[in-house]
Amino acid sequence: MADVSVVGQGIFLRGSIRGEGDLEIRGRIEGDVEVGGDVTIGEGALIKADVTARRITVRGAVAGNLAGEDGVRLEQGARVVGDVRGASIGIAEGALLRGNVQTGHAAEGQRGRGRAAAAARPTARPEPRKAPAVTVAAKGNGSPRRGAPASEERAGPPPPVVPALKKGARAALRKRSR
Amino acid sequence: MANTVIAHGITIEGELTSDEDVLIQGTLRGKLVSKDIVKVESGAVVEADISASSLSVGGQITGNVTASDRVDLMAGGRLIGDVKASRLTIADGASFKGNVDMDV
Repeated sequence: MADVSVVGQGIFLRGSIRGEGDLEIRGRIEGDVEVGGDVTIGEGALIKADVTARRITVRGAVAGNLAGEDGVRLEQGARVVGDVRGASIGIAEGALLRGNVQTGHAAEGQRGRGRAAAAARPTARPEPRKAPAVTVAAKGNGSPRRGAPASEERAGPPPPVVPALKKGARAALRKRSR
Repeated sequence: MANTVIAHGITIEGELTSDEDVLIQGTLRGKLVSKDIVKVESGAVVEADISASSLSVGGQITGNVTASDRVDLMAGGRLIGDVKASRLTIADGASFKGNVDMDV
């Protein structure tokens, strides 16, 4: 059961929130937030706390560090003062950030690392499938794919070749074959 | 649905102040002050003093409770602490230990 907790607009919490499940924050929090699920910090939210979660989406104001095991997204309207850490980090236009950013590494612990790697794969540019060991090695050095040596690039099948056709050429071909 | 939900599996520690209704299914420790309705559902564990306009208890509360309107202790609910409210109902099957002050 996906339990979503909500801290509404009229809420002020001084203390900590911990546990499993997703969390949506629209109110004010001073303290700590540590949740196993996803955290959404909505517009109008005002948070003075470190936030640790699987995935963090920010549209409000945060003074504190953000650590997203799978990723952190700062969307339009986000105002963050603090460090941001996550397997993948997205900062949209219109988001404000002052602090350090560290991508690539899972937030903490081995448990998150496997999941983070799985989540990071689809966002990387398309590439031939490799042995898992290579993926892990590539993850270690920050910018994953480009850093891989050429010999490993040759190991997999080459990327599919798409013939370059002029605009409308494909339609013309289809018409001709009919 | 309530504006604020503390779902099952979530633990809040500290002081929670609210202008709106609060639904508790998880765990709360500390203090809760609400200007609106507070519902403590079955399965919830609250170790806090609660003040609200109205309070319904289906879960477990340890702490003193104040309501400007009413307190409803439902079947299966468990309250250890004092109650101060103008109206109080205790359903059959609820357990309660504490003083009652109904400002007579």
